[in-house]
Amino acid sequence: MNAQNSGKRPWTASPEEKVFEIYIRTTPERLWEAITDPEMRGRYNFGVQVLSDWKPGSHYALSAPRAGDIASGENLEVDPPRRLVQSFTALWSDDVRSEGTSRVTWEIEQVADSCRLTVTHDQLAKDANGEIYGGWPMILSGLKTLLETGETLTTPGSLRYSQAPLSPA
Amino acid sequence: MDAVFRALADPTRRSLLDQLFEQDGQTLSALEQRLPMTRFGVMKHLKLLEEAGLVTTKRRGREKLHFLNPVPIRLIHDRWVSKYAEPWAAALSELKTTIEEQAT
Repeated sequence: MNAQNSGKRPWTASPEEKVFEIYIRTTPERLWEAITDPEMRGRYNFGVQVLSDWKPGSHYALSAPRAGDIASGENLEVDPPRRLVQSFTALWSDDVRSEGTSRVTWEIEQVADSCRLTVTHDQLAKDANGEIYGGWPMILSGLKTLLETGETLTTPGSLRYSQAPLSPA
Repeated sequence: MDAVFRALADPTRRSLLDQLFEQDGQTLSALEQRLPMTRFGVMKHLKLLEEAGLVTTKRRGREKLHFLNPVPIRLIHDRWVSKYAEPWAAALSELKTTIEEQAT
């Protein structure tokens, strides 16, 4: 369209981008820890831990001992405690695997005694499978509960991979 | 949470959310064309939806894009569902197994 826009998609319609926002009463440092610490992540992200050394360009995996890797990718930008950009490949079924790689951007901004956390899931395929990005509201709700109360949210499915049986009954 | 219920109590605002559910990341001009309403009316409703956290915006160049943010609705769901959910979900899953066994 114009020089300023070159190299990027047109921004009128963007069906391949989803934005999730939540306010959490915590510090940016504590929020960063909850996103990057394996143990804490496991308490609100479907029971899967995140494994990485968090160096820019490093690999990460969302993984549960019983279910294996359910997603993985690369840490494209690592700027604690403000910004984390990751490539994202879903691995939990053949259907989602065929969707290819998208991008997840975590942005933390302090607002008074709280943080605004924005998760932008973009570079999704056109008419992407809703499963790819549909879990974010549940994950962010569980993250808020964990940081504000220390409790683990027990909505059905919220910890599904930690409770998955080793083999079908 | 009051703001969320207030925002959802209006049919025009629900239809704005429907438009964004259909196609996320729209400009004010695009939304205005889809509703029988003045630009000012759409702006007013979008402002209330933004204040409730149900709509979030991003700037791209000169444009402001509006996105449906479903997270506040999830928080309402979790507030009343999570406490009772586990035994209930377990009972449902037992029922499902029983039905499946009877079916085979």
